[in-house]
Amino acid sequence: NSGCSPRGTCQSMCPNRELQERESQNRLHRFETLAGTEKRAGERCRRPRADPKRTVKEYSRPAAGKDSTRPSDLRPPAVLLRTVCYLIDDIVYDFAFDRLRSVRQDMIIQRTAGPESRAVLERTVRLLAYASFRLCGEPLRLYDPRINDTHLQESLSWLLRCYDTEPGPHGNREEFQALSLLYNLGSSRVLQHTLELPERLRSSPAIALALSINRAFSERNPVRLLRLAQRLSFLQSCALHRHMAAVRRDLLLLYSHGLSSRNCRFPLPRLAKLLALDVAHAGQLCRAHQLEVHQDDQVVFSKTCFSEPEPGGLHSNGSSRLVLVASDVPRRRLEREEEIVNERRVRVIAALGF
Amino acid sequence: MAHITINQYLQQVYEALDNHEGSFCAELLSFKHPHVANPRLQLPNPEDKCQQVLEPPYDEMVAAHLRCTSAAANHDFIEAYKFQTLVAFQAHKEENCCFRVCASDNRAGLDDSKKWGMLFLINQLFKIYFKINKLHLCKPLIRAIDSSTLKDEYSMAQRVTYKYYVGRKAMFDSDFKPAEECLSFSFQHCHRSSQKNKRMILIYLLPVKMLLGHMPTLQLLRKYDLMQFADVTKAVREGNLLLLTEALARHETFFIRCGIFLILEKLKIITYRNLFKTVYQLLRSHQLPLEAFLVCLRMMKVDGLDLDEVQCLLANLIYMGHIKGYISHQHQKLVVSKQNPFPPLSSVS
Repeated sequence: NSGCSPRGTCQSMCPNRELQERESQNRLHRFETLAGTEKRAGERCRRPRADPKRTVKEYSRPAAGKDSTRPSDLRPPAVLLRTVCYLIDDIVYDFAFDRLRSVRQDMIIQRTAGPESRAVLERTVRLLAYASFRLCGEPLRLYDPRINDTHLQESLSWLLRCYDTEPGPHGNREEFQALSLLYNLGSSRVLQHTLELPERLRSSPAIALALSINRAFSERNPVRLLRLAQRLSFLQSCALHRHMAAVRRDLLLLYSHGLSSRNCRFPLPRLAKLLALDVAHAGQLCRAHQLEVHQDDQVVFSKTCFSEPEPGGLHSNGSSRLVLVASDVPRRRLEREEEIVNERRVRVIAALGF
Repeated sequence: MAHITINQYLQQVYEALDNHEGSFCAELLSFKHPHVANPRLQLPNPEDKCQQVLEPPYDEMVAAHLRCTSAAANHDFIEAYKFQTLVAFQAHKEENCCFRVCASDNRAGLDDSKKWGMLFLINQLFKIYFKINKLHLCKPLIRAIDSSTLKDEYSMAQRVTYKYYVGRKAMFDSDFKPAEECLSFSFQHCHRSSQKNKRMILIYLLPVKMLLGHMPTLQLLRKYDLMQFADVTKAVREGNLLLLTEALARHETFFIRCGIFLILEKLKIITYRNLFKTVYQLLRSHQLPLEAFLVCLRMMKVDGLDLDEVQCLLANLIYMGHIKGYISHQHQKLVVSKQNPFPPLSSVS
């Protein structure tokens, strides 16, 4: 079969062969065992049973004589994506969120200050900001945006206070002042605080961009805002993400009033570009706001027709895909999930500053 | 009670909260309870200790109460009253019934407060909140005064100060009409001889009035030594965006320190409106090509603009009611109403 790469056929997160093997050798991870079958104190050699819904294929070094290319052992791209989502959404976030909270608790009790505590807060903020984007469409039992927000704001204010009061150097200060400006888009409190920073900081590229995005917001210029937002880094886009729906809605609202006329035929592709969405989603958004789209191609702006979408109609599941900032999302079809998975993994690692 | 340590006291408060023991909790925060005589609780800086044991907002409340006991022990009763009032007003905010008990416990004290100058204390609290940038704490105080029957019986000086802070808070919340009313009252009733105070009020009244379309005269600016506003006024009146940007940059430090820089930036919209009105008057037509506005803006050195952004600016002005008309995308023209297409600024809220 030279010249043809193997194609996996395993449809579960862990190949059956490995599951049986690790179960019989008692090499299952705590997170992979079937509840109630774990070994209890005082019992003799009781082997826990694997939970096939939670067992994940482990890494094992390739070795001579070991065939790592058996199709039944390989997971195709769709299954890989499912695996990564399970790991990040169900395991990583929950565990990390909780353990990071405990870290902050230790810091409060000991009244710690200094470069290590700042580094802790910086990493916490990065994770929570990423989570606010990545998990925003998830059901409440897995992710509560309000709780994430509370912790993110707390950690962010704490960190910014450290920058204000502790001696430097603060190598990452720009990054986090900018994140605060973006996450708190339109907040006079955060804006005023930023304006009081030394000129040298204020004119750094990250903060200057965040300030001009805020300016576009307060001048109510969503076209400019969305245009500037294309220049944001991945993590900055995550921080801005929760405001995107409102900004896009504002654009449609202003255009509905300003361009309202019976003969109005605004080209959808052009509108999509302004909204930083692909054409299909732009059309969906228009229809959700009761704006007619003729022949799938032309939007009829009308101030009498424009209205708010049905609650839950648009911005629940799938909203994270809808409101992603175009420049940061690979515009690829789902057939190339493999690349998406890889890219996300790299981004998570990069975004968390490791 | 008179001999327990601070840790034991905080532990008792924590447990009372945890077990929802309303009346016991109220006692721990009351001035009639023996614990107030305990010198070990009279910490001048109790915040850190309170934060270690209690969750917000109780940490702040208990810290305020302990500061109060400390102040009272030093016979500083104004300080003491200030902090206990803080506890009481915070309590009004909380749904938690144990603190309602605490608040009613203090009500007898509050009724007698006329002679203590309650408005004076509230004004002092406003001053503090503005300084530490926690404006949201002003709201319960404003509610309390508004619902009080005594509000017109205070001295004019106190009422002027009160309206000044309420006006500034309204500005911060972008409620410009109420802000104008309060600050105007304050300015008009401020004593003629307090030039310094009149100037301070004017610093906040001017931007609000300008946003509502009323430009100050040079005479007024000169009289109160506020020439920083001169170029800003000129720029807005003429629709000169270039001059506006320059004027804001030149006096940036002053405007930022006073906290009005962000509000003055909002004048950009009014400036665009004035500029576009000039374009309309020059072209003498009711159908104005979008290109004309773009050229005009480029002349004003407003960079990085294209027809899409011009369209958005115009759409915004139409939406706000500053322009009566609509944009025809197909013809790339702004079509304005034949009747009063640019209504006077004061008529548009």
